Amino acid sequence: MSNHNISLDVNGCLVEASVEPRQSLADFLRENLALTGTHLGCEHGICGACTVFINGVPARSCIARAVSCEGDEIKTIEGFVDDPWMEAIREKFSSEHALQCGFCTPGMLVTAYDITKRIPDADEARIRVELAGNLCRCTGYKGIVNAIKGVLKDQKDVS
Amino acid sequence: MIAKNRGTGVGESVPRKEDRRFLNGSGQFVGDIALSHMEDVAFIRSPFAHGLINNIEIPDSLRHSVYCAKDLIDTKSIRAVSNLKGFKPSDQPLLALEKVRYVGELIAACLGATRAEAEDKVDEIYADIDPLPVIVDMLDARKPDAPLIHEDWGDNIFLETRMSARQPEPLLSAPIKVNRKLRMSRQCMAPLEGRGVVAQWDNRLEQLTVYTSTQIPHIVRSGLSECLGLDESSIRVISPDVGGGFGYKGLLLPEEVIVCWLALKRGNPVRWLEDRREALTAAANAREHYYDITLCANQEGEVLSLDAQVHVDAGAYSAYPFTACLEAAQVASILPGPYNIPNYNCKTWSVATNKCGILPYRGVARTGVCYALESMLDLVARSVGKEPFEIRLLNLVKPDQMPFNNITNKHFDSGDYPACLRKAVAAIDLDSVRKQQKDAGATGPMIGVGVSIYNEQAAHGTTVYSGWGIPMIPGYEQAFARFSPDGELEIRVGIQCHGQGTETSLAQIAHEVLGLDIASIKIVHGDTALSPYSTGTWGSRVIVMAGGAVARACEELSSRLCKIGAHLMQSKVSDTYIENGMVKTPARQISIQEVSQTWYRRPQDLPNDVDPGGLEVTAGYKMERDDGTFSYAAHAVVVSIDPELGNVDLMKYVIVEDGGKLINPMIVDGQVCGGAAQGIGTALYEEMPFDENGQPMASTLAEYILPGATEVPDIEVQHMETPSPYSKFGQKGIGEGGAIGSVAAIANAVNDALSPLGVEITETPITPRRILETIAMAKQDGTPGS
Repeated sequence: MSNHNISLDVNGCLVEASVEPRQSLADFLRENLALTGTHLGCEHGICGACTVFINGVPARSCIARAVSCEGDEIKTIEGFVDDPWMEAIREKFSSEHALQCGFCTPGMLVTAYDITKRIPDADEARIRVELAGNLCRCTGYKGIVNAIKGVLKDQKDVS
Repeated sequence: MIAKNRGTGVGESVPRKEDRRFLNGSGQFVGDIALSHMEDVAFIRSPFAHGLINNIEIPDSLRHSVYCAKDLIDTKSIRAVSNLKGFKPSDQPLLALEKVRYVGELIAACLGATRAEAEDKVDEIYADIDPLPVIVDMLDARKPDAPLIHEDWGDNIFLETRMSARQPEPLLSAPIKVNRKLRMSRQCMAPLEGRGVVAQWDNRLEQLTVYTSTQIPHIVRSGLSECLGLDESSIRVISPDVGGGFGYKGLLLPEEVIVCWLALKRGNPVRWLEDRREALTAAANAREHYYDITLCANQEGEVLSLDAQVHVDAGAYSAYPFTACLEAAQVASILPGPYNIPNYNCKTWSVATNKCGILPYRGVARTGVCYALESMLDLVARSVGKEPFEIRLLNLVKPDQMPFNNITNKHFDSGDYPACLRKAVAAIDLDSVRKQQKDAGATGPMIGVGVSIYNEQAAHGTTVYSGWGIPMIPGYEQAFARFSPDGELEIRVGIQCHGQGTETSLAQIAHEVLGLDIASIKIVHGDTALSPYSTGTWGSRVIVMAGGAVARACEELSSRLCKIGAHLMQSKVSDTYIENGMVKTPARQISIQEVSQTWYRRPQDLPNDVDPGGLEVTAGYKMERDDGTFSYAAHAVVVSIDPELGNVDLMKYVIVEDGGKLINPMIVDGQVCGGAAQGIGTALYEEMPFDENGQPMASTLAEYILPGATEVPDIEVQHMETPSPYSKFGQKGIGEGGAIGSVAAIANAVNDALSPLGVEITETPITPRRILETIAMAKQDGTPGS
């Protein structure tokens, strides 16, 4: 199987690599770049644990191919270290007990980031629909929904 | 002398200490561990549910990277035996040698530099298997001409049990007699992280290091030792961060043994990471029960007798350590639930079929038992024309009867079951649902309301498990605690935390005793080299057992601190106490840090009679009675059924839970809601169907439906707090409870909605197909209510 050379931006760093065409973006991030915060729950695009931003849009890195990300901007959970918006979400996740085992959490946080940025007036029903692509097996979603509601409320209170 | 320490101790909703690493994406799960020169394993698994292996064809090019059963010399098969009379043991080969007994059974292991390369090799290997007749259904397995799963048994029964207790006067007749046949489908527990193992031989320590996603590291070590013939001291099992367990990771896996064997054979690290398809098709291993159950009652609705014949589909092999019979044996002992039932008779069969071996899933047998019994109580209510909750109030054990020994000799420790149910009924606003039902037209959504109540034996120990005689019997739980020279507290426990927040709640217990800031308390778990032996995390036992052990260890440290502190402050030991992290006398105080520094760095200042054990302690704990705490809860739910599509919508969901003294109420709420979400999956969505050849039919999460954020409602949780008289702080185990009551409550609500049609559902999950078929039966039968 012949490898392909790719060049892409991962968390603000230029990455150049030679990859097999079949390698998923998730495997590339985890195995080649040791960015293990992106988790693999199903590897067939249902559970959402592997959700990362590709060019600012949440996407499942388990069914995206690394080779198809040539020139793209990838942002994983590790890329939000100094992001105050993500920090606000993280704090709410902790105070609302929105995580237990922590396995779905990175994907949930990426989706929560997207929801809170994109739909500032989302109500609970909308939040739940938007979360439909991320499975959590531990919490029953209550804390996750409340955390996202809380972030949106805090933002409203500020503005 | 211990003073009350406030702030982050017992009873406080303290944010979790472990959250930060998960929020940063820096948790370390087994799949995140990469060792140099590591090889990946992919398994060749049986495509047949039952068959004889003729040959395994391996291309010459793969001779050095593929291993079959004949290669596994000096290993033993997995044998999990119960001492219950009549139990027939099964030998689970690590790799199938002559025969395969379920789809997904391991046949060979392929090694590759990456997982993808190992999987490529799997495709090049052909297992030549002659299929045999298959047993898919547990009832067929008992027919006289049924093919045999294990030829030498003569039948397909792991174990048959009988439990009977009757009043002296025989029950000749009863005005109300209801009978049903109820069934629960097979499920896959599906934690979001699958299983996985990384093993490496350490030449310096002469020790095998095994990283595995498990709930029971010490038990896995014993099992590996037995199967590999290595001393236990030559094996170190580390359970890193574990992405959900629920029972799925509470066993010794053949994959674990093989990966370890390969690491020994190859001399380099070896890794196996289960993929979702493997999990679904080879490990759907939970919940499959069939009840033929009869309840007799008087005209008031007081239960006179309970009779049941129960089958549990235990699959092909007995899993280590819980065995193939734990589920069915538990059914017999807990079927009477939280009720006072005067006559009881129950027969159970743990049946072998051509499916993977059953494992205890969150709630174990209780989920099925609660579904069966609570369904029957609703039938009694309908027969006598009362509300279902009224029938339950008549039969529940009353608070003034506590502690109560029930008909199967379970010892209910404390609680007010009727008050719990009343609170749930009030919260669901039953009257307004009944009015809504009356006002509803003949078309449109059908509304139903259902309740359930159960109790949950948790943290049960030696007395209970020695009766079952399985390979693992819990005894004293231990905790190791020590102060470091800088005055920080390190606590090591043999249990494993996989989402329950134990790193926080155990620190809260240590804080309760010593008053140290919980940031200064580190909980270490999940490593056989670092922690005292423990049977691990299962049976809702951690907060009672490990919590009790941590408290004991901290109390012992406290008295040693006081002795040294009293000497340093030149006062009497009897006047010295610990408060808010300080060693105090009425007149003076010094910090724990200063006492620690004295022990480690200024031993010349210690009293002559100082305890030479210093500031480290291993303490053991058992409850005053070790047959368990009994938490309990009532679930109440309102459903709306779309009669055209068969969808069930959960309109309102209330849980009233009594977990005794709550150590961290926030964490408890999380356990209750998360458990209920899994119960909702059992009730409405999750099913592994098998075709007539024993092929599992749901191989992705598109077919095996896990509830998402739109399927799980905003569950309202209320608490009662009746302390257990037997545990350290009055706490009770609650980890499994949420998953116990939901199936019964939802099924009862659905059948309440369907009752005007005169039909009912008797099988879970209650999928749209089952709803529509049931409604169609009503139409066939003619007029509604007939």
